[in-house]
Amino acid sequence: MFILAFRERVVLAWLRQAGGKQGEPEMSDIAVAGGHGAWQARLGVETGAARAAADARRVLQLGLAGIWLLDGVLQYQSFMFSKAFGQMLGATAAGNPGVIASPISWDARLVEHHAVALNAIFATIQLLIGLGIAWRPTVRLALGASIAWSLAVWWFGEGLGDVLSGGASPVNGAPGAVILYALLAVLLWPSDRGGIAAPPAAPFAAARALGAQAARALWLVLWLSLAYFALVPAANRAPQALHDMIAGMTAGEPRWLAAIERNAAALVAHQGLAASVVLAIALILIAVGVYLPASAARGALILAIVVCSVIWVVGEAFGAILAGGATDPNSGPLLLLLTLAYWPARTAAVPHTAAAVEGTTA
Amino acid sequence: MTIPAWIPDIFAAIMLVVAAVSAARLVARRPWHLGRDAVVADIDLAHLLMAIAMAGMLTASLHTLPDGVWAAVFGVLTAWFGLHVVRDVRVQGIRALAGDCCAPHLVHSAAMLYMFLAITAPAAASGSGTAGMGGAGAAMQTLALPVLALIFAILLIGYCVWDLDQISGPGVSGHYSLAVPRIAPAGAILAGVGAHGGGQDGTELRTEVVLASSRPLGTEAAKPTAPGQAPSSATTPTGSGPGRTVLAPWVATTSRIAMAVTMAFMLMIMV
Repeated sequence: MFILAFRERVVLAWLRQAGGKQGEPEMSDIAVAGGHGAWQARLGVETGAARAAADARRVLQLGLAGIWLLDGVLQYQSFMFSKAFGQMLGATAAGNPGVIASPISWDARLVEHHAVALNAIFATIQLLIGLGIAWRPTVRLALGASIAWSLAVWWFGEGLGDVLSGGASPVNGAPGAVILYALLAVLLWPSDRGGIAAPPAAPFAAARALGAQAARALWLVLWLSLAYFALVPAANRAPQALHDMIAGMTAGEPRWLAAIERNAAALVAHQGLAASVVLAIALILIAVGVYLPASAARGALILAIVVCSVIWVVGEAFGAILAGGATDPNSGPLLLLLTLAYWPARTAAVPHTAAAVEGTTA
Repeated sequence: MTIPAWIPDIFAAIMLVVAAVSAARLVARRPWHLGRDAVVADIDLAHLLMAIAMAGMLTASLHTLPDGVWAAVFGVLTAWFGLHVVRDVRVQGIRALAGDCCAPHLVHSAAMLYMFLAITAPAAASGSGTAGMGGAGAAMQTLALPVLALIFAILLIGYCVWDLDQISGPGVSGHYSLAVPRIAPAGAILAGVGAHGGGQDGTELRTEVVLASSRPLGTEAAKPTAPGQAPSSATTPTGSGPGRTVLAPWVATTSRIAMAVTMAFMLMIMV
């Protein structure tokens, strides 16, 4: 309900912006130019129509901010202040090449010995990143920090998402949830390729900063890599691989969620290869979907939403948050947010503008 | 396993600041002079109560009332804001669930009610109240129905980021205004006068006179403000100096943001 109300406000903002007469300032522009403008000028933030209007990208940024905030509060859980947290980090070194594993082991020992201080810092950093993205004057700073932090955690905290160790699977969060934060920060960076473009002009929100081609290429690489990880590590194709992966998520979960997990595991019991092939085909369709015409792309994105949701509930058990000891909600919500960033924009109202900007962004 | 006591202590200190600010707002608003418009004080009163209750949950030494009493208090507040949300939804539809209406206050109150009802610490079970979240006393504190904790945390975080965006944005409504209310100088033009009476259920929407503020005239039309909604700068009584500052809408919003983060923290560490 909240999301619906939120979306309605965004649509209203878009309509207001699209419907404004030429040469006549929008209400939001006036507001920015007035009292708030003076205040924002002191803070050195951007102003103008692109800055003022709520748009899809800003909504997605707020979604990302929310997930960072959730990460921050999860990081304050008691488990993270114990030595077990450092040991958990150390376990991600297993199977990785020495050059990757050694720094992980060093970092894990450090965290083990200074668990309280370091974890408090980690949690606070994530909290500040979330607050910083939501607070408009610091959005760039926070997104930049989130990229650096995500890359560091992907290595030192997730062992590169088991990508090199052969244990990665899209069902359990490959290629590492945290790398998706960095990808989202890049795609949602608050700039417009080729100058200031009106929000509805870009073919989709993720195209505004990098351009449509680069954004689509990133999408293709991500989802094809997920398809690869669904099939290629031999362990994922084993008859009981998916069953064991899903059944392993029941520990500590509430009864209703454990029951879902058990039933889903039973569904794919001894069907590891078939299930992996079906999943890989779905992921490939999603990967190429953004290159299709808008109506077909929407179909692929809806498939992505379904797959993300199933992965988040069945494969990741909501990131095991309800079992305690989770550091993040895992990849499901991030893939969902990413999918929404590629949702085709409504460009029918301003076809000439859309075409012009498509030329600059594509 | 416990979290270090100084972490909940920091959050408790923040809650004490929120309580102090909310108390100052209540005093500055002089609700005893507002007559039937005293309803505008409901949000500050709710903030005050929530901040005191949370400080007590976070740090045992700040514990005040038994859990049952707090549960009753937040039950009343939940019902109060719930009624306003229902009225708002009837008038505004789904937009009433946006951040500048009563819905966030309903979520805050309901989350507090849930925490007091669902906490399963031995101390709570014995009826003597929560024992604080840091140190040894926190070891056994968990919440029943953890999925509700997650849902509340997500909602609180959602409203928190929305509030932060709005308070740092172009100022879509007086609810998020960063301006400190001030009286219009002699001869100043009133930006608008909106008289709205005869609301549903005998509730009158307040007549709002938009006084000159640091916002340019005409940038924001006078809006009817529903009871229970955070008052815009125009609806706050005029005063001088710190009294005006403390009544600025952004002060209430900032308090709400601080409480949302603290509440989400409490919910997640007790899952």
